[in-house]
Amino acid sequence: MIVPTLRPMRIGSLGRRLHLAVACWLLLTAVPAFAHPHVWVTMKEELLYAPDGALTGVRHAWTFDETFSAFATQGLSAKTKGHFTREELQSLAQTNIESLKEYRYFTYAMVDGKKQKNAFNEPVDYWLEFDPKKTELTLHLTLPLKTPLSARQLVIEVYDPEFFVDFGLAEGNPVKLVGAPPQCAVSTEKPYDSSFQSTPTLKGLFASSEANVGMGMSFANKLTVQCP
Amino acid sequence: MKAVDIAVSRFLGLPDDAKPVATFLICSALIAAGVVMCTSPAVAQASPFGAAPAASGFAGWVLSKQAIFYRALSATILMAKNDGSALWTLMGIAFVYGVFHAAGPGHGKAVISSYLLANDETWRRGVALSFASALVQSFTAILIVGVAAVLLGGTAKMMGQAVRVIEIASYGLIILLGSRLLWVKGLGLIRATAAWREQHSGAGTDHRHPQACVEPDCGHPIHNSFGALGKRADGDGGQSGLLQRQHHHGQLHCDACDHDHPHGHDHGPDVLPWGHAHGPEPHELGGPDGWKRGLSAIVAVGLRPCSGAIILMVFALSQGLLWAGVVATFVMGLGTAITVAAIATLAVSAKAFARRFATDEVGYGGVLVRGLEVGAAVLILAFGILLLAGYIASERLVGF
Repeated sequence: MIVPTLRPMRIGSLGRRLHLAVACWLLLTAVPAFAHPHVWVTMKEELLYAPDGALTGVRHAWTFDETFSAFATQGLSAKTKGHFTREELQSLAQTNIESLKEYRYFTYAMVDGKKQKNAFNEPVDYWLEFDPKKTELTLHLTLPLKTPLSARQLVIEVYDPEFFVDFGLAEGNPVKLVGAPPQCAVSTEKPYDSSFQSTPTLKGLFASSEANVGMGMSFANKLTVQCP
Repeated sequence: MKAVDIAVSRFLGLPDDAKPVATFLICSALIAAGVVMCTSPAVAQASPFGAAPAASGFAGWVLSKQAIFYRALSATILMAKNDGSALWTLMGIAFVYGVFHAAGPGHGKAVISSYLLANDETWRRGVALSFASALVQSFTAILIVGVAAVLLGGTAKMMGQAVRVIEIASYGLIILLGSRLLWVKGLGLIRATAAWREQHSGAGTDHRHPQACVEPDCGHPIHNSFGALGKRADGDGGQSGLLQRQHHHGQLHCDACDHDHPHGHDHGPDVLPWGHAHGPEPHELGGPDGWKRGLSAIVAVGLRPCSGAIILMVFALSQGLLWAGVVATFVMGLGTAITVAAIATLAVSAKAFARRFATDEVGYGGVLVRGLEVGAAVLILAFGILLLAGYIASERLVGF
């Protein structure tokens, strides 16, 4: 029988404290750590304004990574193999929206630095789109605000607090203001800068230090609209 | 503390002996709950308007490595479609991913190490439990994909529902396991406290009272899972006479707990930790039957499959490479088992250490070790309840 032998040593009060600390540390580390993402989303966002200059809602276009898209479309029937129509994906879109309710659609609003509670109503229109070339699913949904917001500074945040889903803004101009007063301007704050690859290459992944992960930073994607 | 003891025992209507025990139980439950609540990202979920969580330091590093390797897995599956040699890369990445992944939630390291702490299990059993539960976990994932996706042609929703049902069963089992351990170990702690008190009242005599003998683990805490420690103490004349006397006493009155048998004395939760005057039953001695005791922990932990493995296998299926996904799942499980086994071994060694220094104060050490076990049982129970109630976010498969 092989047993690790421990050298006998005198355990003073320091040793005791050390061992107690080890035991405590173990109990602490036994607590679940952060989840890591299994779903990657590339976002394109539209902020919708009423003629009076108030923000009325947010229109999301969320593209899922290839792996998750394959998982989500598993078992769905399509007339043409590998080409899913909007109608064929409707039941999946319904499931998505129902599941997203529990997570408040991962969308949060802040007015002049104050978080708004339950700011959004349920989505009014939603559908899924499948890109057969990239084999990626895109979920479109419009979230209307319960009460339109007008303020000097509005912030919309999109993130999954449990970090099962990693949200990232698309390249280029991912955020559009629709019908906003002309003096309003939007700026974005990403939790990371590396560009998102839906189908990453091995080399690309290991060359990038971040690989689309909000390491050391907040996961939230901040869209800030300033209207002077 | 005395005032708290009295208040607690009055409130619960407990006898005097139980005062500190009751206080300890309640305190450790509160601490365990507090620790879980404070360190869990679920807090952010409970108040979605709090600050967005951030991962930094070691957690952030593990997180980023996991994410990179997870994405690399799907990239390699795509590569393997055209290039067979990429399969070796796939296996390598799956292994490393498994090692990192076990550091995340849902891999039972908490339950397994707490289980080992609560029961006097050996490190070897800890390693075996870790590997067995990882294997069960791989099988569950493969079974779900194999039956739901391949045989039935089911959808992601169907797999999500299957996982949900399995998850509830798994958390329920963890709660049962924790409750049972808490009951057994709580009584053990009460006994140990009583023995300690009795011993204190009869201070000055070398000969320990027989009650100390029926104290859990027979009152010679030097004998821990690392049998070597005890043997060294036996053979080392320089060790304190106290230890020698204790050991001697143990041989005189506690034959049931003689530690010369090769399996250590790992009484499972089925065996009440006191008052067994007879020799160990064959089923207590480990060996093939010993699996029965660990089975509850293996199933409770291993039942919940890894979401990542399911998603990747379905992706592999969509690429016509299901078997590569299946093999990768087993390799991932191997990596996971190594991390969990390492943590489990640390837990067992920490208890061995705790026990070693606990021998400095006879009797009190027994209380301390029992306390550690009760704490571990409380932790398992707390995990089960919080997981079932959804306060700890385990991995989720639905959401989209």
